[in-house]
Amino acid sequence: MIDKPFNNKAWLFVLPVFFLVAISAIIPLMTVVNYSIQDTFGNNQYFYVGTEWYTEVLGSSRFHDALGRNLLFSGIILLIEIPLGIFIALSMPRKGFWVPVCLILMALPLLIPWNVVGTIWQVFGRADIGLLGRVLTGLGVDYNYATNWLDAWITIIVMDVWHWTSLVVLLCYSGLVAIPEAYYQAARIDGASKWKVFRYIQLPKMQRVLLIAVLLRFMDSFMIYTEPFVLTGGGPGNSTTFLSIDLVNMAIGQFDLGPAAAMSIIYFLIILLLSWVFYTVMSNFGADAPNKEVG
Amino acid sequence: MNTVDKPMSRASNIVRTLGWTLLLLLLMGSGLYFWFQSESAPNLAWMAWTKPTAIFFITIFCLLIGMCLWEAFSPGGGPRMGILRFETTRGDRLFLSLLGSAFINLAWLGLVGPDLWKALGVSVLYALLVFSFV
Repeated sequence: MIDKPFNNKAWLFVLPVFFLVAISAIIPLMTVVNYSIQDTFGNNQYFYVGTEWYTEVLGSSRFHDALGRNLLFSGIILLIEIPLGIFIALSMPRKGFWVPVCLILMALPLLIPWNVVGTIWQVFGRADIGLLGRVLTGLGVDYNYATNWLDAWITIIVMDVWHWTSLVVLLCYSGLVAIPEAYYQAARIDGASKWKVFRYIQLPKMQRVLLIAVLLRFMDSFMIYTEPFVLTGGGPGNSTTFLSIDLVNMAIGQFDLGPAAAMSIIYFLIILLLSWVFYTVMSNFGADAPNKEVG
Repeated sequence: MNTVDKPMSRASNIVRTLGWTLLLLLLMGSGLYFWFQSESAPNLAWMAWTKPTAIFFITIFCLLIGMCLWEAFSPGGGPRMGILRFETTRGDRLFLSLLGSAFINLAWLGLVGPDLWKALGVSVLYALLVFSFV
């Protein structure tokens, strides 16, 4: 089994990465774990409180609400972005002059930084000076994302759809153009309808890229911070306060380091679990027969 | 150092490397210890270390060292197809055990109470199951 030469130099090559990760991730994470079981009133003085903060966070409606909002948001944007992305990818030309034009137009929203996206939509949606706000108000719709929670949610969802559907489109498009022409020819010979071509050729061939799209969008939307922070700041009330916004409010706004650290750890564990699922599904998709059975 | 092919000499090679690494860490540790005793020591009070968290991280560090030794004597990671129907190595199983244990402890805290010793027992049982069947 072992026929590769073994070389201890690899340890040396790993060292720089190890130090970088230690400084940027491991040491801060250790500190967060330390904070999560203590209380402080500043001046580097800490009091041991055991698992009190964890119990508090796990039982707090504030955490449950933020988690619920985050899951609801992720669910809604997936339900919109995935079908819409597939539809746009199917409508895009496969050959000719319009292909690069469409691709560039699709890629544009992806190139805009998150905080700029938030600012664009903040101005765009304002009822007094924004185009969207003025038009809606002119049409007689009582629209104000700063005071109405439903308007705020709709604006954030539309903003996310505008920003990220392109990613789904580009992924689906890459899956679509990879389908050999022979499949379509066979379908034409069989007299297959458009729906059947989609159901039995295009969708199965897009399965892998769709999986990437779903998981990427889910994880990204679950960690969303900048856009809703710039657009609504978590308001009106707490209606758009997602987990990350709540966490920052608690840690930096209220300076409750203990509860914020406990919440960070729980949030981190959820993200870690999701990342593991992402990695496992990605790396085992279409995996070959088992190497070894349990026995 | 470069052309070792047999598993045992490969293992001894890794163990020797680990030994040197540990010795280096020990030297660095003692150096750091004396540095921290001196007047020019950096202020690490912001890290707010406690005994329980130190024990927690030392345990994880020891687990990782143990995994390295296991790998040294039985290289390849022991890949197999478990009950979850995908291939896992023993590193995956350790990760699953630790992550699952974290959730078991959180669930215990949220649903049962602050007595986490029982949750630790459940976690060890869970880890044994993961290492046996996943």
